[in-house]
Amino acid sequence: MKYSIFSLARAALSSHKNWGRAWRDPAPKSHYDVVIIGGGGHGLATAYFLAKEYGIRNIAVLEKGWIGSGNAGRNTTIIRSNYMLPGNTSFYELSMKLWERMEQDLNYNTMVSQRGIINLYHSDAQRDAFARRGNAMRINGIDAELLDATEIRKILPFLNYDNARFPIQGGLMQRRGGTARHDAVVWGYARAADEFGVDIIQNCEVTGFQRTNGRITGVETSRGIIGAGKVGMAVAGSSSRVAAMAGLRLPIESHVLQAFVSEAIKPLIPGVVTFGAGHFYVSQSDKGGLVFGGDLDGYNSYAQRGNMPVMEDVCEGGMAIMPMIGRVRLLRQWGGIMDMSMDGTPIIDKTPVDGLYLNAGWCYGGFKATPASGLVFAHLLARDEPHEEGRRFRLDRFRRGAMIDEKGQGAQPNLH
Amino acid sequence: MPDFVWSSQSPLKKALVPGRHGAGKAAPGVSLSHVSDIALVQVMTRRGRNADVAKAAKKLFGAEPPAALKISSGKVVTLVWSGPDQFLAFSELPQTAPSVEQQEQAFAGSASLSNQSDGRCQIRISGPNARDALAKMTSLDLHDTVFPVGSAATTSIDHTAVNFWREADDASGNPVYVALVFTSFSDTLWHLFVESSLEYGVEVAAIGAGH
Amino acid sequence: MRIACPFCGARDSGEFTYLGDASPKRPDAPIDGGTAVEDQFYDYVYLRDNVAGLTREYWYHGGGCRSWLIAERSTTTHEFKSVTAAPGAGAAKAKQAGER
Repeated sequence: MKYSIFSLARAALSSHKNWGRAWRDPAPKSHYDVVIIGGGGHGLATAYFLAKEYGIRNIAVLEKGWIGSGNAGRNTTIIRSNYMLPGNTSFYELSMKLWERMEQDLNYNTMVSQRGIINLYHSDAQRDAFARRGNAMRINGIDAELLDATEIRKILPFLNYDNARFPIQGGLMQRRGGTARHDAVVWGYARAADEFGVDIIQNCEVTGFQRTNGRITGVETSRGIIGAGKVGMAVAGSSSRVAAMAGLRLPIESHVLQAFVSEAIKPLIPGVVTFGAGHFYVSQSDKGGLVFGGDLDGYNSYAQRGNMPVMEDVCEGGMAIMPMIGRVRLLRQWGGIMDMSMDGTPIIDKTPVDGLYLNAGWCYGGFKATPASGLVFAHLLARDEPHEEGRRFRLDRFRRGAMIDEKGQGAQPNLH
Repeated sequence: MPDFVWSSQSPLKKALVPGRHGAGKAAPGVSLSHVSDIALVQVMTRRGRNADVAKAAKKLFGAEPPAALKISSGKVVTLVWSGPDQFLAFSELPQTAPSVEQQEQAFAGSASLSNQSDGRCQIRISGPNARDALAKMTSLDLHDTVFPVGSAATTSIDHTAVNFWREADDASGNPVYVALVFTSFSDTLWHLFVESSLEYGVEVAAIGAGH
Repeated sequence: MRIACPFCGARDSGEFTYLGDASPKRPDAPIDGGTAVEDQFYDYVYLRDNVAGLTREYWYHGGGCRSWLIAERSTTTHEFKSVTAAPGAGAAKAKQAGER
């Protein structure tokens, strides 16, 4: 059913009791052309683009819990394309362009809101670094503005401009950046993929791979064996566990990142503000809660929860840059498992195992990449060659010395 | 020969405001003080030379090196455990403790020494509410059964490295804690100590007024 | 998490810094008299077991006694099974395994 003002009016006449389900709940078939492991944003977007752009319809998306129960439901909903290095800049801009037309493409309100993102700077050196990044963005046709303190003060008058250690000198702004409703993105892709005939199979955990002459021919799951022409992995923090079932070791560590939501308050923060020097960033949801976070906890984890020292650190960062945040009560806090790669950049590539394809290494930036990740991964699965915008995200780039290390941190994933 | 002499001054010269601060007028809940003239030497045992260091310490200070998480007291010098096989030799000036040169000779070959007399600032916090004030900034369990008189720890307070120990209780039976902090961080931590103590009423002693 | 430092006792995890998996051994390069080839260094630097379950890992008690420690910890529950001093920590013992 197409969602429109008319369908809304029709449903209103029956007190909204007759809305049909948005996607089916099929039993798994014995064989699919493509099986995608992971029913998060990336997996569902991959299925959607495979069906829509590449004409493959016999697809299953396997999700061990319910769709969107992993990182798609644990992020801080930020979208942006403010990257500097070749490989990242145009990929994330492709993603931004897909965000801009997502609601029309999917016929679904994903609440994409380009309310702007500002990265604050506090020193001449940091200003220079942001000017360089802004220039790299503009060369690639991406909007970027370097604002001084006076201009920032007009937009964000409530910040602490006179912090002795981190006085605000200005910020790099991308006005097209902003937020989107994370659950709606999952639901929108699920509904659109389902309409193309994609089977979304929940509560179906992959427990092993079936191989014939070395090639992957299917997956073993908690709901039986499912044959597959090709298998794509989009399982974020669980990448190493799933890859290990196929005998692979990955250049990835799993780390926990915490996020926080305050009680709802009246509209205060117009966009996204990042205080990188103090390990703090914040935006305000449409419901009114302040959504904020900071750094990784720092130790390997699959536990989807973090510890107190980082909570304290994030709150201290918030108090430093935005002292009145101290009057707001913390409502919820949670953790998600980040697939931290060795250079802080994702991997979309074939694996050394025939028939197994990898989409991983998104670190703490996977949400904004959702649409482009789906499109680029779908291209790889359909054509067996990388999409133009994913050709640098190769698995062998570490061996070749072709890392894409935005932070210049090296192979220490908890510092990216 | 140098043509000038460094004149040392307390790192808390500006931050420390003597007198009564915070709540109440009755007896203060917390007392804070600072002695600016201290002698402090870090003694780090060399590989496998623990017995030699113990012997030299006994002879020089009249005290064995402290057991882990403890202090040991000589006639004028307090030895404070500061990590595996290392301790601080702490004393207040003026005193009759062995000079740094004498210590160097005594530990020659068995330990590495580092003079930290001007590198650390000593802050003493005591009183009936001292533990309440400290609970706001340290994750150490300071209960009598866990951290009795003579206990020592190396820990972090407000992200700052601190050597921390407990001396004999004061005349009223209240606990006395000592913190050694890096000189350049002492201003910040002093403010933290005072702020955390205000609700109990805090008496700040003038520099050099003794304890 | 609280981490039971073998020297200091149980402390808040905020006093500790994480390095990572303690299992990988640096390959001996030819210049050090070894025979390791590039592949082994690639494995050592970039690939990880990234275990879901019990791991051996390096922690540094930088906010305390400044000792390097080896902990056995579960990455799925954050429970510590053991914490011991890394080779070389403390001076009580003579030369220890792993020291050059």
